[in-house]
Amino acid sequence: MAASISGYTFSSVCYHSANSNSDHEGFLLGEVRQEETISISDTQISSAELLQVVEVHNHEPCAQLFSFYNYAGLVNEENLNKILKERRKNVIGWYRFRRNTQQQMSFREQIIHKQLTQLLGVPDLVFLLFSFISTANNSTHALEYVLFRPSRSRYNQRVTLSIPNLGNTSQQEYKVSSVPNTSLNYAKVIKEHGAEFFDKDGVMKDIRTIFQVYSALQDKVQAVCGEVEQSERVKEKVQQEVNKLKQQIALRKQKNAEEERRILEAQNPEPLPTPEENTEPPETSLLSLVAFNTPSTPERPGPSANPPAYADLLSLQDNSLLPSSSSPTSAALLPRPQAVGSPGHPSPNPMGLGLGLSVGSSPAPSPSTPYLGNGDGSSSDSLDRQAAGQEDEDEDEDEDSSEYENLVSEVAQLPPVTINVLAQGRPASLSPDGDASARGSQT
Amino acid sequence: MNNMSPEVALNRISPELRPLLCSVVRNGRVGLDSTNCLRITDLKTGCTSLTPGPCCDRFKLHIPYAGETLKWDIIFNAQDPELPPDFIFGEDAEFLPEPSELPHLVQWDAEDPECLLQLVKELIQQYHQYQCHRLRESSRLLFEYDSLLEDPDYGRSLEIYAGHKNSWTGEFSARFLLKLPVDFSNIPVYLLKDTALDPGEDVALLFVSFEDAEATQVFPKLYLSPSIEHALGGSSALHIPAFPSGGCLIDYVPQVCQLLTNKVQYVIQGYHKRREYIAAFLSHFGMGVVEYDAEGFTKLTLLLMWKDFCVLVHVDLPLYFPRDQPTLTFQSVYHFTSSGQLYSQVQKSYPYSPRWDGNEMAKRAKPQFSATRQAFCSGLVIK
Repeated sequence: MAASISGYTFSSVCYHSANSNSDHEGFLLGEVRQEETISISDTQISSAELLQVVEVHNHEPCAQLFSFYNYAGLVNEENLNKILKERRKNVIGWYRFRRNTQQQMSFREQIIHKQLTQLLGVPDLVFLLFSFISTANNSTHALEYVLFRPSRSRYNQRVTLSIPNLGNTSQQEYKVSSVPNTSLNYAKVIKEHGAEFFDKDGVMKDIRTIFQVYSALQDKVQAVCGEVEQSERVKEKVQQEVNKLKQQIALRKQKNAEEERRILEAQNPEPLPTPEENTEPPETSLLSLVAFNTPSTPERPGPSANPPAYADLLSLQDNSLLPSSSSPTSAALLPRPQAVGSPGHPSPNPMGLGLGLSVGSSPAPSPSTPYLGNGDGSSSDSLDRQAAGQEDEDEDEDEDSSEYENLVSEVAQLPPVTINVLAQGRPASLSPDGDASARGSQT
Repeated sequence: MNNMSPEVALNRISPELRPLLCSVVRNGRVGLDSTNCLRITDLKTGCTSLTPGPCCDRFKLHIPYAGETLKWDIIFNAQDPELPPDFIFGEDAEFLPEPSELPHLVQWDAEDPECLLQLVKELIQQYHQYQCHRLRESSRLLFEYDSLLEDPDYGRSLEIYAGHKNSWTGEFSARFLLKLPVDFSNIPVYLLKDTALDPGEDVALLFVSFEDAEATQVFPKLYLSPSIEHALGGSSALHIPAFPSGGCLIDYVPQVCQLLTNKVQYVIQGYHKRREYIAAFLSHFGMGVVEYDAEGFTKLTLLLMWKDFCVLVHVDLPLYFPRDQPTLTFQSVYHFTSSGQLYSQVQKSYPYSPRWDGNEMAKRAKPQFSATRQAFCSGLVIK
């Protein structure tokens, strides 16, 4: 059991007692609560410790001795109620002050205590004994106080009484008492001036304001998160398209290399190459030229998140230079399977159309959203510059751009006879491994 | 301060409470040991230090009980002298008397000077019952108590103090204080000590200390009033037997009682016998008596003459006469010794029988005196 008494109650009791010219007694008002502490340690699962805490909030002094009991110590309940009135339920103990006596409960105090325990219905009623001990020459007076709980065994009766904040508070935290403030004046002032600090729900206004700021910040953060997510998604799509274009470029290069080889072979006494093969390079070069010179055509796909479907691309190129891809390159133009969840699987694309489209209409970020590229000369960066007509043929920043240069020069060398062949060709699809299948298809 | 005289203590007490304390201090006799008065010490006040004195209203009361001294705090309030006091029973923290059995508390009357003393006596009675109840810790000692209680001679005058030697681990022990039912009223007054000091009632108390619960270490002691002790010949004259091993109080106490009674009878008889002896010698030697002890009858001096030769004969009668033989001292009236004393000769052995009465002793003394005188005179002549 632990007990505490507020400093002002203690000083009030001392004041009443010290000013009394005889013994003095009264009642202690407060509350008793149970505190359970559960601790978990390595040695045991959990241990619960129950502590009974007695808090003295106030006191009710008796005007005179024998005010509620007679000479035999018999308590008169009627007189008791007159003294306590409605505070009877708050009684947790009683106190007595007597000068120059031992710190031991007297005969009458024990008799009275037993009866009070029963009448008030408080099993652990406490008894606080104050005593002034004076030296013979009255030079020193010591105020001693002991708290008893006589319901316990003889050797377990004394309880330590603590007074919060009485001591060296520089080394310990100043404790706020849990004693309820029953002062009417205090309540009145708070009611009068409280509206400046509290809102209608009794919550401090500052707290509400701070909470609003917090909420606004949270909303902003949520919004930014959304934007970040969107931009990340867009970036992901762009990246996918860039990868796709790279593949297409690689295939185109391979195809061109094949064409050159065939041309060389054709120049030698060899059977004429297939129309498809002959017509392809010029067609390709023308397409490339068209693609280079008019970056605006074919029409660049819109700012939609998904790249244009292959069918759409086909329809766009219906009346334009028809892409044709020879069988050797068909395999090279097989669409590369994309990862699961990627937006818009690029449909099988003729090399030229695909290249032209990819060159001329790279799915760069739409003008509606600001360009979020990193500007470090990566492939996406060069593609963007191509789309904007800023491609410089001499630029060697990107491997892909050098490929374009090669393609342009190669295409220019091709005879124009390949155009018709290309027109008759059918679109080929890219294989997963464009280069290898291109080679395979050519043989 | 602890040994202050009663009067000094009374002077420090608040005037309103003084009458109550007077009867306690001056007339206070509680318990069996009435030779020890109640004593008050450690006077304190419950008033503020600014209150002018005398205003002491709380003190410690020392009460002899069963060979121990109880120290009880009694707390009054000088500002409310009509209110009854409160008590703190010292080390006996578990002693809680029933208020309804304390009539002088329930109907406290501050105007009655005897009220406090009567209340203390009632508390002692309650305390005695409390101690008897504590004897239940030892069946052996409880038996001792119950057996004594049944005997009307001892049961009503019994004080018991039981408990552990110290509060924690001491062996359970008990002290019995019994007032022995011996009649001392016939002891001649002269034998008693100076009655001016008011020794109080003549009592003999048997104090038996049981140092363990099984009664294997028992130490008895006999306490007598100072006058009785003097009348019986001092503390060395009376030795009580040791407590028999395995014995019990109900057998031992009557034994001691009988011994004491016999001793007293001896003393009384001796007195009467001595008186008879002196009376007989007075009758037989008439004019020859020089002087005699008319109170205790312990001495007689005769002047005998034989052929104009005078001899003084001093007869000293011992305390346990006639069991012990009187001593005859012949003294010359003419001759001195070298040290300047009258020449004398002591005779302790002569024909004597304790069964003779005084008259017989006086009759037989005459020829004895003659024979001894002749020898005494011869001795003187030789010198």
